[in-house]
Amino acid sequence: MFRILKKRPQKQHPIEEMSNRNLPLSTELDKNLQILKSIYKGCIDVIYHPFLIAGKTKALLVYIDGLSDTEQIDSSVLAPLMSKTIDKSINLQETCENIQLSNIRVVKTYDDCIKNISNGNPILLMEHEEQGAALGLAKWDKRSIKEPDSESVIRGPREGFVETLGVNISMLRRKIRSPNLKMIKMNIGSYSDTSIIIAYIEGIANQSLIDEVQNRLQKVEIDSVLESGYIEELIEDNVFSPFPQLLDTERPDVASANLLEGRVVILVDGTPFVLIAPVSFFSFFQAPDDYYQRYLISSVIRIMRLFFMLISVFLPSLYVAVSSFHQEMVPTTLILSMASLRESVPFTALIEAVIMEIVFEALREAGLRLPKQVGAAVSIVGALVIGQAAVQAGLVSPLMVIVVAITGIASFMIPRYSEGIALRLIRFPIMMLAGTMGLYGLALGFIAIVIHLCKLRSFGVPYLSPIAPTIGRDMKDAFIRSPWWMLNTRQHLTGRINKYRQAPNQQPKPKNR
Amino acid sequence: MHDKGRITAYQMALMIYPTIYATAVLMVPEITGQYVGRDSWAAPILGSLNGFFTAYVLYKLHKMYPNESLIQYSKHIIGPFLSKILGLSYLFFFLFMCGFILKEYYFFIGISLLPKTPMIAIIGSVVIMASLAITGGVEVLGRASQLFIPIFILPIPIFTIMLLKDFDPKNVLPILEHGLLPVLQGAAAPQAWFSEVFLISMFLPFLKDPEKGLKWSFISVFAVMLSLVSLNLLTIFLFGEMTASYTFPVFKAVRFISLSDFFEHLEAGIITIWILGAYIKITVFYYALVLGNAQWLNLSDFKPIVLPFGLLISLFAIWEFANLQEQFEFSKFIFPFYVPFMLTVLPTILLIIAKIRTRNTMKKEPPRISNY
Repeated sequence: MFRILKKRPQKQHPIEEMSNRNLPLSTELDKNLQILKSIYKGCIDVIYHPFLIAGKTKALLVYIDGLSDTEQIDSSVLAPLMSKTIDKSINLQETCENIQLSNIRVVKTYDDCIKNISNGNPILLMEHEEQGAALGLAKWDKRSIKEPDSESVIRGPREGFVETLGVNISMLRRKIRSPNLKMIKMNIGSYSDTSIIIAYIEGIANQSLIDEVQNRLQKVEIDSVLESGYIEELIEDNVFSPFPQLLDTERPDVASANLLEGRVVILVDGTPFVLIAPVSFFSFFQAPDDYYQRYLISSVIRIMRLFFMLISVFLPSLYVAVSSFHQEMVPTTLILSMASLRESVPFTALIEAVIMEIVFEALREAGLRLPKQVGAAVSIVGALVIGQAAVQAGLVSPLMVIVVAITGIASFMIPRYSEGIALRLIRFPIMMLAGTMGLYGLALGFIAIVIHLCKLRSFGVPYLSPIAPTIGRDMKDAFIRSPWWMLNTRQHLTGRINKYRQAPNQQPKPKNR
Repeated sequence: MHDKGRITAYQMALMIYPTIYATAVLMVPEITGQYVGRDSWAAPILGSLNGFFTAYVLYKLHKMYPNESLIQYSKHIIGPFLSKILGLSYLFFFLFMCGFILKEYYFFIGISLLPKTPMIAIIGSVVIMASLAITGGVEVLGRASQLFIPIFILPIPIFTIMLLKDFDPKNVLPILEHGLLPVLQGAAAPQAWFSEVFLISMFLPFLKDPEKGLKWSFISVFAVMLSLVSLNLLTIFLFGEMTASYTFPVFKAVRFISLSDFFEHLEAGIITIWILGAYIKITVFYYALVLGNAQWLNLSDFKPIVLPFGLLISLFAIWEFANLQEQFEFSKFIFPFYVPFMLTVLPTILLIIAKIRTRNTMKKEPPRISNY
């Protein structure tokens, strides 16, 4: 679990070398202005606004255009300070008392100033003061809250995270109002200085897990974090595995539910995707709907999902193995029609399957990247070319088309894209094995996958739990989704320090019976 | 400790079950059938007694030296020199057994599934897969068996249901026509397989819940006994006295399955599932060999020797038997004496010596707390 720390090159911050960043502010306003200007040399979006407080004291307001609320600056800061009602020269504290704002912080160094300016908080500097004031007036254009496209639900909340960290935090806080929802803030990225929040619920999440997440995040030294995917790859357990070891979601309800299981949520500024750790294989088969629909339906759908997961990985290989090695397994009538359909096909079953699967993947990828209006064209082309023309031309057998289509649909049933794509990928080596050694190769492929999954861990939690190692109590939420009145306990491996989620025996029944 | 992993007694039971059963299902019905005929269902019951006894002996030894395997604690019992010789003989035995199982595996897969595939491809592929699991340690083994063994057990009830219409229960009558002696002869082979429960000795030190070790070992032996009895009954119901004349009669029985003219000839599918169990068996013996070697040589880590030993067991598998008939004869006449001698008799002697030694030391000095 603990990787041996390799000796890394010395930390280098190009900006830091630039000079006097950590120096305290000077009492001379002109010198402050000069240094700030030298730091922000060539940044045309930085605005320096000199003015006189009550016509007497020289003052300076520094902010970045577009990050701060200029209307508020005019009405709440400049208007009261420049009014003639103040009749004497005043110091910083008195000035702050005159500003009609709730969020004012004192800054003492240039470093503080830069951080606040970059975050959109205007800095107010005054003559003869070695301190400045950071005004909480950050405001920029943000996307409105919408339903996430990648995780749509039939029943459930229609809100999704946005690119702004503050909004995302507030969405979590609105779901979990308890003060036990704690957050640790850290900044990663020498250039981007991206804010990253580790959210957890005190008393449910394991302290060692929080420490581990913090440790791994602290080790990250990178120039920028533009998406949570950067972080994911830098903190996961096994970097060579195709399987995702952190769950990404756009939905506050999913994040909250996982927080309540004792998991940790990592929010990254600038992306609506938050990371959840630790997760198991079965987490990727739990759609948010499962918990909102009726339990029986959810359970059936979840079992179907897992069944189709097996189909999506093994069906093409099974077809290849059976049609080229074990024809005796196929019922006589079917093998006759299979043989007649394959008569004109020039390829072996393996080549046929590989070609078709690759074409299918290409179609899927093409449809994904194109604009929505053109995307429909791809599916038409795909359906016509692959579905019909290829069969008529005798390049592939119709049976293979059916197999590829079922496989495709099956892989789309996995609610998480990251897991689905991993499973689609491992289909190819298994096809090769099945094409060379038949069902024996298929069995070997299955064994290899299972062994790999058995070795995998996500932040100390075995990837295949609760199946292997078997945790009987957690089975209630793995293959099936038990009714809410049975989901009394949290997941053992993440929430064992606060075992009970609800009062027992809540099965509804008539009174006095 | 060479392996930091921890398993539960339940996981250990799931590993031991295929360790006995996976190859017993190939050989035992045929061998017992040759001796006992229609009473072959009784042979595994008698044979399982040895399984219970072996498990009990090794559990008692484990109780005396809770953190060590047999290869390690034998030095407390018979001194360092003799224990090294004993350990070496066990390592050679494991090496031989790995080769034996792999060869059996090859014969079975080769005959029934891939007749034209070269031996090295079949043996090499499964050894590579096994080494993958072993580098993960005992935890991975335990987890893998938790996934594989339920799938592995599943065909037994399914067979029974699907073959119900072909059953002729009268085949089993008259019961014990020739008395108990043939049953005892027939039990010779199964008891050898049951003595393979010895391998709990390698796993008991890793248990999170060692107090349940004996219980789950017994459950495991009992489950194997039940499976063998039911499969023997199944073949007798189907073939009667003819059982002994088939190679791999259980898999012959699968050919009789025919449901609505669609589910037919399921052998290949059943063999595919059998591979999962056989894989666990190979892995368990391979792991015992590698771990035992690391313990014998006092290595700090067993991972570097996994692949070299993989090569060695592949070579042993290629060398051991020229054909199935040879291996079958070996299983029938030598195996029932050789294997229980190593896996049951020697541990029993060790236990007796250990008991006598502790009694003597207790007389001389006040009892000291063992290294719990």
